[in-house]
Amino acid sequence: MGLGGYRRGWGVCRSVIVGMAMWAALGAGNAGAQVRGTIVGPGATSYPIAVSPLRSSSGAEQAAGTFADLVAKDLDLSGLFKVINRGAYIEDPQRSGVTADTIDFRDWSTIGAQALVKGSIERDGEGLIVEARLFDVVEGKQIGGKRYRAGDDELRRIAHRFADEIMQILTGERGPFESRIAFASRRKGRFKEIYAMSLDAGDLHAVTRDGSIALAPSWSPDGRSLLFTSFASGNPSLFSIELGGEKRLLSSRSGLNLGGRWSPGGRAIAVALESGGATDIALLDPNGQVMHFVTKDRGIDVSPSWSPDGESIVFCSDRGGGPQIYVVGAQGGAPRRVTFEGSYNTSPAWSPKGDRIAYASRVGGRFQVYTVGIGGGDVKKITSTRGDNEDPSWSPDGRYLVFSSTRDGSGAIYFSDAAGTRQTRLTPSGGDDSSPAWSRWLE
Amino acid sequence: MARSIRMAVVLMMVAAIAVTGCAKKKRIADEAAIGGTGNEEALNESSSLGRYKRGLGPEEGGVLKDVHFAYDSYELDGSARDVLAANAEWLKENKRARTEIEGHCDERGTVEYNLALGAKRGKSVKDYLVSLGVASERLTTISYGEELPLCRDASEQCYARNRRVHFVPPSE
Repeated sequence: MGLGGYRRGWGVCRSVIVGMAMWAALGAGNAGAQVRGTIVGPGATSYPIAVSPLRSSSGAEQAAGTFADLVAKDLDLSGLFKVINRGAYIEDPQRSGVTADTIDFRDWSTIGAQALVKGSIERDGEGLIVEARLFDVVEGKQIGGKRYRAGDDELRRIAHRFADEIMQILTGERGPFESRIAFASRRKGRFKEIYAMSLDAGDLHAVTRDGSIALAPSWSPDGRSLLFTSFASGNPSLFSIELGGEKRLLSSRSGLNLGGRWSPGGRAIAVALESGGATDIALLDPNGQVMHFVTKDRGIDVSPSWSPDGESIVFCSDRGGGPQIYVVGAQGGAPRRVTFEGSYNTSPAWSPKGDRIAYASRVGGRFQVYTVGIGGGDVKKITSTRGDNEDPSWSPDGRYLVFSSTRDGSGAIYFSDAAGTRQTRLTPSGGDDSSPAWSRWLE
Repeated sequence: MARSIRMAVVLMMVAAIAVTGCAKKKRIADEAAIGGTGNEEALNESSSLGRYKRGLGPEEGGVLKDVHFAYDSYELDGSARDVLAANAEWLKENKRARTEIEGHCDERGTVEYNLALGAKRGKSVKDYLVSLGVASERLTTISYGEELPLCRDASEQCYARNRRVHFVPPSE
């Protein structure tokens, strides 16, 4: 009953917190399947697309550019698109149409675009109204469109949302960009705090101000709060914090209360608890009470990560000698070993698609990111750089990873497609960033 | 029975607060500490964490000497046992002294695994001191993993210094 009340409590708050009051499908054009299938996956031939600045009314000029910049950046980051440089665009966004019957598609086919994003933005009282449309340049018709009413502070989010929509239409799978990434960092002073940001890093901000050591963040399923471990009161205890809200003590058993992760349905928290030197995986209820221990062993069991169906947990254990990756049922039982290559494999993350596990492996004295099938086969190396690549975390769509890397010196957060084809640094370097956690799609 | 009824009442109250929701958000944050065991203690200013909070680096050695470990190991080798034998003698001569055993790791490996490894190192040291006749009530343990290193260069020499158990200066 406690669980039900807690969950309903979130439901009640939801309408207050989400100010993105409305969105609506725009235009008669159906999401045409004509272009679907031309895009196979990241690393395939890039699909040329133009993203025009929105036509803006007075007072929305800056937002018009920001929206287009963010959509273009997401599409580029996806590795699926070649975003045509804005300098090549022939049409003036302020003097040209935003509907299929008023756009001269020859202006876009000439510069090589196969798809086009256009739209408009205007001020409406306290907020903005954004209309964004996606066109098939070859067919000369609209294949997607959305109208959003949003506050200025939500512009970033709707840009990411529309980028996800574009990926949905052109690849058949929603994109991963309307989401957030949290990580631990020392980027402002000597203390290690938890930070959060959108994928574009433009709103990077500190979530905790503990003035101590805060680490191992992970998201609630709705992306509104974070679990983390902090030494703020001496003992490494588990806390939850709402973005912009208060932190809440969940577990402060003597010893480690480490690396909590919400189950996909939000009913339980998997955590590593230490007692007498041995660290085991336990499940806590949403108020931090121990429900049961999933593992019980004299050695080290850490870094739990849930299967998307919430039935199983992957974790790191030294029960066989060195650290290796194991899978166990969420109710307990005998763990099954997943990794057999390498003498030091750690920080597993179960893909939201369910089929693969990403982890860090020590090779030649340095750490690299790998993925492995959940049955233990088909090991793939994702990174092979100087420095250490650690703590992979999957995108909500399971097509991308973020991880920390010291390849450029101090730790920073990197973005990669799941095959490792193209790897991009997301955070400014010099912050000693670690332990990134990618949220699910924001609700 | 009385206890379980009390628990049910507490859960009902928590649920009621959660449902009535947003206006009292800060109050919920204050009241939700029922998951903890409430073993908060004043932070020891001489501990590595206490020093870090004051802007100071961790101390090396002291009246009780540091113990060092091999990579990814919490086993006590011969020299570690010699150091601990001397530390045990000191603790037996100063019968009222208490100390906290801090487990530390080098930077290689992930943050979470190293915290667990540091806890193992602390436990190995505590068990050995107890086996030498030091009362376990005089010894507490904490792991800082790789969070409070003595040095930050990527060299084997620096890694070896950081793979340590340190004793907080004893107090009575």
